[in-house]
Amino acid sequence: MRTELTLVAGVVIASSHMIMAHHSFSSEYDATKTFKVSGVVSKVEWTNPHVRFYVDVKEADGRATIWNLELASPSALARNGWTSRTLKIGDTVTVEGYSGKAVPTRGAARSVVVADGRSLFAGTADDSGAPAQ
Amino acid sequence: MTSLVTAPALYPSSPAAGKAARSHVGLRLLVIAAAFVLVAVSLSAQGQQGPGGNIGALGQQVKRPPAPTGPPPRLADGTIDLGDGTWTTRGGNLTSWLKQGEELPLLAPAKALMESRNPSADPYAWCLPMGVVRGNPYPIRFIQNYTHKKPTHLFIMFELMNTFRQVFMDGRAHPPDPDPTWFGHSIGSYEGDTLVIDSIGFNEKSWFDGRGVPHTDRLHTIERWTRVDAGHMKTEVLIDDPGAYSRAFTVTFESTLNPPTDELLEYVCQENNQYGFASGVR
Repeated sequence: MRTELTLVAGVVIASSHMIMAHHSFSSEYDATKTFKVSGVVSKVEWTNPHVRFYVDVKEADGRATIWNLELASPSALARNGWTSRTLKIGDTVTVEGYSGKAVPTRGAARSVVVADGRSLFAGTADDSGAPAQ
Repeated sequence: MTSLVTAPALYPSSPAAGKAARSHVGLRLLVIAAAFVLVAVSLSAQGQQGPGGNIGALGQQVKRPPAPTGPPPRLADGTIDLGDGTWTTRGGNLTSWLKQGEELPLLAPAKALMESRNPSADPYAWCLPMGVVRGNPYPIRFIQNYTHKKPTHLFIMFELMNTFRQVFMDGRAHPPDPDPTWFGHSIGSYEGDTLVIDSIGFNEKSWFDGRGVPHTDRLHTIERWTRVDAGHMKTEVLIDDPGAYSRAFTVTFESTLNPPTDELLEYVCQENNQYGFASGVR
């Protein structure tokens, strides 16, 4: 028991300091405004300072929109075992996250689920998965 | 940028409570201590929260195994080897690196400047260098450069922004009136096993953290990097800037050695920086 607790505490401490993105997300995205959209990935930019992907979405009112969605840096994603090919053009995805403060079709992705139900870019201790339903 | 909005902390504070779990106390105390640690670390690690959890970038957190312990390796001449891996510093705003309860001794003009700074003006957001004393979650690597005669330079390579610092190790002095730069003019030496870096000649552009903690071109820093064991580095930085602070003060932070497979990766920040579009800053 002692060993387990010590181990747990140690692992959490060891992993807890690598959480901040390049830029202050809180100044870009609205902490009170979550989104959930589904569509088809039209572009993936494996670039600094943040990886971005674009999703063609058909909105409820019939309008076609392109969402510009943000992930961590390529280096952080790579260290988590993800590559520039983890998310592909043509993938049908459901994305949840936080909306841009000024532009609602820009967002910080918190969960990316592909058509077969797999959750991409998830699994780190701090990335708890999908926002509240 | 003249808004009076004060930026939120870019980095969570770094709790030092984990050591409790190693002490020889009763199981109950251990459980309480471990629970405290988990809660404290969890809170600090989450950053700003919303209804969907952390607002941070998905995939940013990197889980690494605990850093090794044991004696630090040495170069052939006995100098502590700092270059056998990459290091990650535990991030924090500058205040979190002070002694508990200590406050930044800001002079009134510096305090006013800090309060006038808008987070959207943070040089960090615009892919500019971080300066000498600013935490970030990306690895660094020390390059101890030797010639056939002696050590000449030490370079600190930053993954973030693909930048580097140059530290002269050949015994030269600072120039009398260096042109101001982001990283200043740095000269280094060893005091026992501690690498000491003395820097002057800074510009006034870098922020010490995301809150806009300022400095002037009178800034003088003395860093003391001590590799306390194979996997842990402790750093003390004396910050002496009579243009912004009423007294010199010291901050301390810790870094850990990353696994040997964890190399520096490319980070060309300017290639696709879209900061400010989502929030309407631009």
